[in-house]
Amino acid sequence: MFGWEYPPFHLGGLGVACQGLVRGLISNGVKVTLVLPHESETNDADVIFPTDEFVQKLRVCSLLQPYSTFASFDTNILKVPKNKRDMYGNNLGEAISNYTEMSVKMTEGLHPDIVHCHDWMTYEAGRRASVAHRVPFVAHIHATELDRTNHAPNEYIYQRERMGFDIADKIIAVSNYTKSVLVNHYGISSDKISVVHNGSSDMPPSVELLESKYSQKKKHPLVLFLGRLVTQKGTVQFLEMASIVHQSRPEVNFVMAGDGHMFEELVDLSCRFGLQDSVVFAGKVGSMEAKQLYTQADCFVMPSISEPFGLVALEAISHGTPVILSRQSGVAEVVDDCFLVDFWDTAKMADCVLTILREEPLAHQLRSYAPRILNNLTWKHQASHVQSIYTDLIHC
Amino acid sequence: MNPRICFYFQVHQPYRLRDLRITEVGLGDVDYFDNNKNEQIFRKVAEKCYLPANALMLEMLENHPDFHISYSLSGVFLDQCKEYGQDVLESFQKLAATGKVEFLAETYYHSLASVISLEEYCEQVTKHVHTIEELFGMTPKVFRNTELIYNNEIAQIARLMGFNGIIAEGADDYLNSRNPNDTFRPPTFRLPANKEKIVREHRPLAKRSRDIAVLLKNYKLSDDVAFRFSDKSWVGYPLDAYTFTDWLMNSGGQSVNLFMDYETFGEHQWEDTGIFDFLRSLPAIWQERGIKAVTPSQVIADWNKNQAHVYDVHHTISWADMERDLSAWTGNHIQDAALQSIYALEHQVKMTGNEKLIEAWRKLLTSDHFYYMCTKYWSDGDVHKYFSPYESPYEAYRRYSHALADLRFRLSA
Repeated sequence: MFGWEYPPFHLGGLGVACQGLVRGLISNGVKVTLVLPHESETNDADVIFPTDEFVQKLRVCSLLQPYSTFASFDTNILKVPKNKRDMYGNNLGEAISNYTEMSVKMTEGLHPDIVHCHDWMTYEAGRRASVAHRVPFVAHIHATELDRTNHAPNEYIYQRERMGFDIADKIIAVSNYTKSVLVNHYGISSDKISVVHNGSSDMPPSVELLESKYSQKKKHPLVLFLGRLVTQKGTVQFLEMASIVHQSRPEVNFVMAGDGHMFEELVDLSCRFGLQDSVVFAGKVGSMEAKQLYTQADCFVMPSISEPFGLVALEAISHGTPVILSRQSGVAEVVDDCFLVDFWDTAKMADCVLTILREEPLAHQLRSYAPRILNNLTWKHQASHVQSIYTDLIHC
Repeated sequence: MNPRICFYFQVHQPYRLRDLRITEVGLGDVDYFDNNKNEQIFRKVAEKCYLPANALMLEMLENHPDFHISYSLSGVFLDQCKEYGQDVLESFQKLAATGKVEFLAETYYHSLASVISLEEYCEQVTKHVHTIEELFGMTPKVFRNTELIYNNEIAQIARLMGFNGIIAEGADDYLNSRNPNDTFRPPTFRLPANKEKIVREHRPLAKRSRDIAVLLKNYKLSDDVAFRFSDKSWVGYPLDAYTFTDWLMNSGGQSVNLFMDYETFGEHQWEDTGIFDFLRSLPAIWQERGIKAVTPSQVIADWNKNQAHVYDVHHTISWADMERDLSAWTGNHIQDAALQSIYALEHQVKMTGNEKLIEAWRKLLTSDHFYYMCTKYWSDGDVHKYFSPYESPYEAYRRYSHALADLRFRLSA
């Protein structure tokens, strides 16, 4: 399996998903060798979960990180001592080809039945490995370039993705939403794509937590956003919604947790909306802070413009928080007890927030019913779907 | 003796809610209902079901002397006929003019009032009885409650209201292996004096009835037509009229009660399934074999009440879902909150004497609003989802809660 980020080194939900899948596969008896790129070979040995001992992690020297664009890559490379730059390559294209070459070399001694790759940066490595080992090639897609760039793709990345999709024996998409992006915008035949929704390692909220939230009338109800501060996450829409809510309920507070290049623009916008005393920008939060925020929030809004899955929604649900989800997301396909809105319909989004804040029976039902999905959507269960895709490929 | 067939069809359309917003609450004169959607759905069902089915029924009634049928038309359905389908109303009036069609009484607003507010329940039944008299020139003598919601008390109340028959689901748990084709009676007991008083003061018919017969839906044979007719995985598929008649004849008892949603014809079972042809061929086969199709009142007229078994139902049953109880409309937090909140306004709403306000409140009592909030099988894409005009139970509640908030505002203003 070719991946790129793996906890504790991860920036988004992708590393979490990769780890969940690996653990799920292992617990179903699948032997996994994971090939990862890392900035250094030495500083990443502290994954302490026991099941990870069974993963053979082969690390390849590379500066690849998820969410790379050429611009951010240039920044990263500057941190590397000059004499090492050759090794990593001076641009992203070279870095990928280094990663690719080394990845294949390092798997030479293995005898896999399947080669499984996660997102575009690993596809060429996967292709070569599958040719070398003469085994089927599975391309897993967590986020497309179109999702990341709001349909203004980097041509190089877009082509890389296409190549991976074209040569793959099977594509696994994290949602029907993503599958439809592949069919409509990449021209991939829908027969070739299987949907396996991401799983969740989150536990349903405890009875005590739900009880503590019940009938808790707050002076300042809290509405939460958690994600990178980029266009794709619907950050502007969140503030638009906030300004509508503010008009009828000025006492409501909003927290935007996360960092990203839009930070200043969003601060500016919130002031223009007159929300300077109502919106708090929390910056990038660690898992403990996130847990606190989820628990305190009366409502979690994920207004993403294009969200292949959206694990944050399941995290919010696991803390007993009602969620309002963009219909343009994968997680909306699996959560029953929530409100769905189009990301652009900020008036409706605001109406849903206000309804949840006004109607305690509704909030209580959303808090207590939504977590049922977490019992069905375990990684062990989702990995069994992946396993049956493997079996089909091996036997056909 | 061959059993007789008793056909009864439910005809109902709710007033679905508009995409109300919190910002509209308290604006004054807010219309809660989605007139476009309601009209659209009414016309669609009219073209696919009401008009062709009524034309077929008329043909069968005119050609076959021993063929009779019965309907319960909800009050809100009749209101929608006046708004969106005078042609539909006229086609029912034509059926009535044959003298071979019986119209049953029910709650005007197709509500759950029978299990919540006795006074409102009586008032709605009275309003419905008057409307049937006015439109069809006959007084209903047999009662059927919303979605066949039934228990011993409901049967007694119906008797006190003046009805001599009531129809109910033939639930296995209460039949105890007896034949649903037999006509039953409820256990005899007296209601508490205060309840008797309320019924007496709001009685729909002139005087109480001495007895009340209970006609039970034969759910196996009814559902063969209503649900399984076009199901290719069903062993009985394809069902032809001769086979079905054999099943009817073999099922024994006094009358086989085939109770179903009228939309079975053309809407739930589309025309291309052959449902209309199936129906059309039944009366001739029945005539050949000496089977009569009768109305509930004809069944009751020949009923030997002294030999009748008791149908003893302590828990409330209905014909909805697998559970056949109230769980289609009650049980989750949002359903219970919505029901409690709307009925809590009854006294205040009535005190205003404002007809428009009372009418808006009553349209919100229609059981469908709570049915749409059901989360029982939501994830399995079951019938609630199929029948819901809204995206989710929560969307149903969102709209409903805004209507409620506006009603409260109007009451406080």
